[in-house]
Amino acid sequence: MSNLIEVKNVSLKSRTSTRIENINITINIGDHIALLGKSSAGKTTLLNIINGSLRPTTGEVILYGKDISECSNKTKQKIGSLWQDLRLVEELTVGQNINCGALGRRSVGWAIANLFGQIDYHECAQCLSAVGLSNNIINSNVEKLSSGEKKRVAIARLLRQECDLIVADEPLSNLDPTLITTILKILLGEQHDHSLSIAPTSIISLHRPELIDKFNRVIGLKEGNIVIDSDTKNASKIEISKLYC
Amino acid sequence: MLKPLRKINISKVILTILPIITIIPVFIQCVNGLHIGGINTLINFILSAFQPSLDKNVIESSWIGLQITLCFAIISWVISITVGLVLAIFSSNSLNEIIGVPEIITNIIRRILTLPRATHELIWGLLFLQIFGLAPWIAIVAIVIPHSALIARVISDQIDKLDLKSLISLKYITPSKMQVLITALLPKLIPILATYGSYRLECAIRGATLLGIFGLGGIGTEMQLSILSLKFNEMWTSIWILFFAIYLFEKALKYLQNPRFYFQNIGIFSLIYLLFLVIALATSIFWLNVVGINLFAALNIHLFNISNSTNMLIAITSLPWFKLIFETILLMLLASGIAIGLPPILLMIFQARYSGKILSIFWIFCRLIPPPLTTILLLLCTNPSISVGALALGIQNMGVLGRLLKQNIDNQNTSYFDVIKSTGTNSQLAWLYGKMSHQSNSYLSYSLYRTDVILRETIAVGAVGGVGLGWQLRESLSSFAMEEVLLITATFISISLIGEMVSEKLQKRLLKKQGYDEVQI
Repeated sequence: MSNLIEVKNVSLKSRTSTRIENINITINIGDHIALLGKSSAGKTTLLNIINGSLRPTTGEVILYGKDISECSNKTKQKIGSLWQDLRLVEELTVGQNINCGALGRRSVGWAIANLFGQIDYHECAQCLSAVGLSNNIINSNVEKLSSGEKKRVAIARLLRQECDLIVADEPLSNLDPTLITTILKILLGEQHDHSLSIAPTSIISLHRPELIDKFNRVIGLKEGNIVIDSDTKNASKIEISKLYC
Repeated sequence: MLKPLRKINISKVILTILPIITIIPVFIQCVNGLHIGGINTLINFILSAFQPSLDKNVIESSWIGLQITLCFAIISWVISITVGLVLAIFSSNSLNEIIGVPEIITNIIRRILTLPRATHELIWGLLFLQIFGLAPWIAIVAIVIPHSALIARVISDQIDKLDLKSLISLKYITPSKMQVLITALLPKLIPILATYGSYRLECAIRGATLLGIFGLGGIGTEMQLSILSLKFNEMWTSIWILFFAIYLFEKALKYLQNPRFYFQNIGIFSLIYLLFLVIALATSIFWLNVVGINLFAALNIHLFNISNSTNMLIAITSLPWFKLIFETILLMLLASGIAIGLPPILLMIFQARYSGKILSIFWIFCRLIPPPLTTILLLLCTNPSISVGALALGIQNMGVLGRLLKQNIDNQNTSYFDVIKSTGTNSQLAWLYGKMSHQSNSYLSYSLYRTDVILRETIAVGAVGGVGLGWQLRESLSSFAMEEVLLITATFISISLIGEMVSEKLQKRLLKKQGYDEVQI
């Protein structure tokens, strides 16, 4: 398997605290990584460093063989992020938000046309149906949706982005069990609509150790350090439970 | 051993009402100065409101005056909204990372904008009048300069308060900054433009009317000529015409401000807004031509000799600086007290639906008559004093603050009020506790901003009312003492900047700014 991203000796420290320290991870194409650790273990920080939104104080992140800070935006957009707070544009409709995922491949004129309403209806509808939402909400304002629906709209935007790597920060929090299974299947590419390009690789932070069987790799963080990095099959349940002690 | 002093903790609701005590010295001074016939003049003025002149010539000249004022206001509004918006984007602290403007440029723009912002449109108008003579475009430029800077400042502050996380997230999806701004910023800017942008049109109308009083044409000139010749019924013809125009504008703009309208389709709303600006600009320029005003007339420049250091030194020593500055600040404090303290009291007393409507109309009238005209009117009844200017300035700004407070209270959830009312509390107290207490923070914060505006407006009232730097500026301009004009302008700008700084600091204390958990790139 070839390298997609390499995190080399990465630390993020402030004057008063250390968020993560000397992290080394290599993410290969096809990896589906469950990132575990209790609150404030450094999961969000690590994910933000991987997607390029935070700059580490030391170390480097190599994306497709190049330091991520030197990568063109075109390359960086191959990483799709699902933020904990979703970051949808609340003032726009569901369809317009989903289309935001395609901005990187489209022109400014297309972006203006998107503000006028229905555009690329078929593609938006496909992404919506992939996340189990009805096409009827395509013209609804995002701010009127429930939090579960918003989360699925954010995932639909991710699908429209056609990225190579999904970096998702606690996408399963505050969801009912049925929705958890659905969303996990989408993020891991198991619920595959062949007309959609779903990222073959993902790193997903979660607080549900019982779900790690769905992944092929598990990384455990404790107080900013990696304490587990192994195949799911070889991961010791005792070590995983120690993450939360 | 001395006991430590207990910290006095005044509730913010009381702080909104407390400034009204300034009305006591103002009232006493105005009543003491009343001269024979003063009350009759005032009664005459009030009665004339019900008997405006219906003479064909008066109506015609008021109507033409209104068209000129509206055209001046609309042209300057469109230009200042456009310029202000661009400057706001480039001077916003949150956006500089996203659009790639170096922080130093952002800071330079912000600093440069403080100067035109601190200089009242009347100062620009009077200065341009001296340099270029009477030309119609002077009113427009005099409004555009401070208004653009003010719009830039307010919108950039609003942008900085926005949650821009969606904007940051789009930055990782597309390399095009323009796409990010169009998709994520524009939908957030539309509500600001719809509300604040429309409010600025009203400010532009007020500015154009005010400049008219100082000879730049339009309905302001008509009003001033009528009041000086004591033809109150003719003046009321102009006031009523202006009232109906502003009322219609308010109604039309309320439609534009409705979130249902702009959130239905952000793209179409943006297009309509843009088209509205272009059409309004083109129509106003064309209409000015129709009423015989040529905006593009050739320039006549009168250059002044400014100045050798001896003349400058004479100017510094000859003017009573302490008195001028003191009067200006006192004028601002007294006017602010009236403007801030009266609206909550009136709203507390008059709560019934019909009296609320009457108050809304009353606010419009307060805003309608420019303070210099109110000053002239009051001077017909009482002796010149700081109180006269303070009352005039306070009344107009009370109209602005009153409208805003009423709007916010009308849009507020009434459940708190109902809970307090259900305990058997009387309506006035229930209003204070259940309604006003939830608005007191934002009301005080806006009042502080308004105090800053009042300080800038002291120049116009002072020029007519014979007090402070405004009066001295007018005197020095009429005697062509340009060294004095320069020094007075510089002093006034400095006071305005200090006032702005103090008001900003106090506002920040009142409203804690929400920050991000972490600084993201």
